[in-house]
Amino acid sequence: MKALLILFFTAIAVLFAGLSKNRKTLQTIALAGSILALLATGIDLMLGDTTGLNEHYATMFRFDQYALAFSAVVLIGTVLILGLSGWGFRALTDTLGDNYGLILFSLCGALCMFSFTNMVMLFLGIEILSIPMYVMAGSRRDEPESNEAALKYFLMGAFATGFLLFGIALVYGATASFDLQVIARAIAEGKHSLGMLHMGILLMLVGLSFKVSAVPFHFWAPDVYTGSPNLVTAFMSTVVKTAGFAALYRLFSSAFVDAIDFWGITVAAIAALTMTLANVTALFQTNFKRMMAYSSISHAGYLLLAVLAIGQAGSAGAMLLYTLSYSIATICAFAVYILVAEQNNNASLDAFNGLSKKEPFLAAVMVISMLSLAGIPPTAGFFGKYFLFTAAFERYPWLIGLAVINSAISIYYYFKVIIAMYFVRNEESPVVITPVGFKWVVAGGLVLIALLTLAPGSVYGLI
Amino acid sequence: MSLLLLLIPLIAAGFVLVARPSNGRQIALLITLANLALTAYVVLAFQSGGGDALAFRTPWVPNAGISFSLSLDGISLLLVVLTNLLAPIIVLSSFGRTYEHENRYYGMVLMMLGALNGVFMAEDGLLFYVFYELALIPIYFICAIWGGQDRIRVTLKFFIYTFIGSLFMLMSLIYVYLQTGDPLAGSDVIRHSFLWRDLVAVPLTPATAWWVMLGFFVAFAVKMPIFPFHTWQPDTYTTAPTGGTMLLSGIMLKMGVYGVIRWMVPLAPEAMHTLVPTFMTLAIIGIVYASIIAVKQSDFKRLIAYSSIAHVGLIAAGVFAWNKTGVQGSLIQMFNHGINVVGLFFVADLIERRLGTRSLADMGGIAKSAPRLATLFMIIMLGAVAVPLTNGFPGEFLLLNGIWNYNAWMGAVAGLTIIFGAVYMLRAYGLAMFGEPNEATAQFADLDTRELTILGILAFLVLVLGFFPQTILGLTDQSVNAILGAVQI
Repeated sequence: MKALLILFFTAIAVLFAGLSKNRKTLQTIALAGSILALLATGIDLMLGDTTGLNEHYATMFRFDQYALAFSAVVLIGTVLILGLSGWGFRALTDTLGDNYGLILFSLCGALCMFSFTNMVMLFLGIEILSIPMYVMAGSRRDEPESNEAALKYFLMGAFATGFLLFGIALVYGATASFDLQVIARAIAEGKHSLGMLHMGILLMLVGLSFKVSAVPFHFWAPDVYTGSPNLVTAFMSTVVKTAGFAALYRLFSSAFVDAIDFWGITVAAIAALTMTLANVTALFQTNFKRMMAYSSISHAGYLLLAVLAIGQAGSAGAMLLYTLSYSIATICAFAVYILVAEQNNNASLDAFNGLSKKEPFLAAVMVISMLSLAGIPPTAGFFGKYFLFTAAFERYPWLIGLAVINSAISIYYYFKVIIAMYFVRNEESPVVITPVGFKWVVAGGLVLIALLTLAPGSVYGLI
Repeated sequence: MSLLLLLIPLIAAGFVLVARPSNGRQIALLITLANLALTAYVVLAFQSGGGDALAFRTPWVPNAGISFSLSLDGISLLLVVLTNLLAPIIVLSSFGRTYEHENRYYGMVLMMLGALNGVFMAEDGLLFYVFYELALIPIYFICAIWGGQDRIRVTLKFFIYTFIGSLFMLMSLIYVYLQTGDPLAGSDVIRHSFLWRDLVAVPLTPATAWWVMLGFFVAFAVKMPIFPFHTWQPDTYTTAPTGGTMLLSGIMLKMGVYGVIRWMVPLAPEAMHTLVPTFMTLAIIGIVYASIIAVKQSDFKRLIAYSSIAHVGLIAAGVFAWNKTGVQGSLIQMFNHGINVVGLFFVADLIERRLGTRSLADMGGIAKSAPRLATLFMIIMLGAVAVPLTNGFPGEFLLLNGIWNYNAWMGAVAGLTIIFGAVYMLRAYGLAMFGEPNEATAQFADLDTRELTILGILAFLVLVLGFFPQTILGLTDQSVNAILGAVQI
């Protein structure tokens, strides 16, 4: 809750400070607020005793270890992205303060999605997260792609919200409550109307699948990711995705866990489709951002394994480690991409040709990020994948087999970037100037990846 | 002590890659020599009975039963010695070429050295997997950055092949891991474990063991490689820079054989009867198939690549036979094959550097202008052919004996390798060294000091290990007995 309050007030402060239009000040305020929130979360997390935190919120919120841990993940992601924002938002002028405010507001929504114990809060959290994102997607008002992205995102998001609300209503009809615990008890005791409940669960699953861009509800993602400003895409594919999955897991593990026989196979089918389709499509992309969009869809497929492993020891920890390592690697990759693409005006994979010659550090960062995203040992991404696969192995061995094959396919497109940077000889290798903020962020990202490699257990064992 | 063996090269690799010092090659040589000295110390300590004192164990992910455990028995030690013995030779042999971004090259070699030491010492299943894959990343870069024609396609194929193979191994490891732990511990939570002894203790049904063993087999068969998983190998060996080829053939393929001895058979012995006849057949088909292709090769490097498939097929067949002579033979032959193949690739490289061609047809008469090369090459070549009193002989003898004990027919077919080996090696030697010199070979410069040192050491090892095979057999004897005893078939 501390983090939520800090973020909220920082967001308001940034909105007012936006009048000054001073880039440095705005970035500093936003960064300071989110670092403060991260510290507050980190301290609560380390103390480990969360009873005192939850006295006042009745049955709406519960800031347990789970909520705190995922808050820390998105806050780390946000701090890294805000670190990039100095140069990354240089095209924005009048709306800079609004943009920082929107990022922080949407983060407030994410925090609600980690801590809800009532479906009303889930819904509010999702909306608080999403509405700023619709605006952010369109923040480059002069670019048609950005406008297209915003409109698509908004229409699809609103559509998904409809499904979600209808699902909530049906679940309420079946169990007579919005409270997760009451719903869980009603399901366990069998005091519910089966058809209505199942329909409700299914509709909620559809709604949330839209949000996390799982196949077959993923169509908006590639266009929105490609059209949005680069930094906003990085935010969407890390923070928003993490929030969506943490909410999905929390909902299904605390309310619908006893109906797993019903939804398990559906989720398994969605996961299988998501990873296969996304990985195969990513193979054919030549635009980096579009490739990363499909990559992020495929990661949604892997993350669904955590939902399938609900009830198995370590499934939440596996998801935590996975989202953290995925977020860091994605942000580092985007940092390098933003520098290369925006300075050379080339958004395709060719932009990376011969990068290692002139910019060995940036190229190395990209390699480590790509290896981590592909899940190749000993990078952090491997441990995330390993723990996810192990957690879901006993229940769905065939799905893990498919996931393994998909991991192998994904190498092909992640390595395209490495090949372009290192092995393609290019006389005019791209010239890149690295602003200070970017140096700090990628260095910090590398340190975090190294720490996760050395001690994955410290994150995995947290919840 | 075991930790140092992998930390020193890994830290040095990090230093060379990040700091980019101007004398990266000297640092690499120094580090590999330091590691060799450390290995010598470890061998002495091991022989004075301190095997367990060398181990290093600490929890890594305690709540998932994953530990950072390294230990050494005779089998591990033999391969660690091989790795650290070949490393300075490989580094020194790379001095002959100037590579663009040299620091990166030597940094990658050092990283590889650390990872390989880790593979051979890991006592924890997941740690083994991590090192097994870690070794793949530097060799991929070595081959793809400094390789020859068509390197990007060839190396990506190599990477994806081996990576898919290892993923199957990971599935097998996870499956066995999930069967560990005591379900009667009282609570719901079962603490699984990745430790070798816990994994080995898991009883599997023949049906599940079949899948587990198959998963391991795919990983190791790709690495070695065994027919029909070998299609990446000739291209990769040929396009890779010679240092990379030496790492791949001298050390890396031993990871596969070692994996079979240490992990595949002990973890799923229940499937031995159903699967091993197939594996054995594949290995032996590979021997004959690769030998026949080797006989017809005109590219010298490619010829050695195919001969390597044949040799490793024999080594693998010896392990699959799973009797004392077979396993002992495979161990001694792994060591000797490492020395011989590195020597052969070095000769191929120095000829290619001087003549600018690898084609045997363009060589001939080199012996006249380079007598020292001809002599040392002869010794190493005889070792590869397994002539008595060279290092190849005791290994092949034990291997064929072991295979014969398993099945006389298979032993007989595998024995063809000796004949074929003599044919293709002598043919290559004759075409390259004898006959009328052409314009290029008439001015062939003989070995310089550096080359003489490298080939001299290798030739010396060929002869010494030929005379005293007992030095190796003695090192591994107890451990082979232990692992054969621990596995109930």
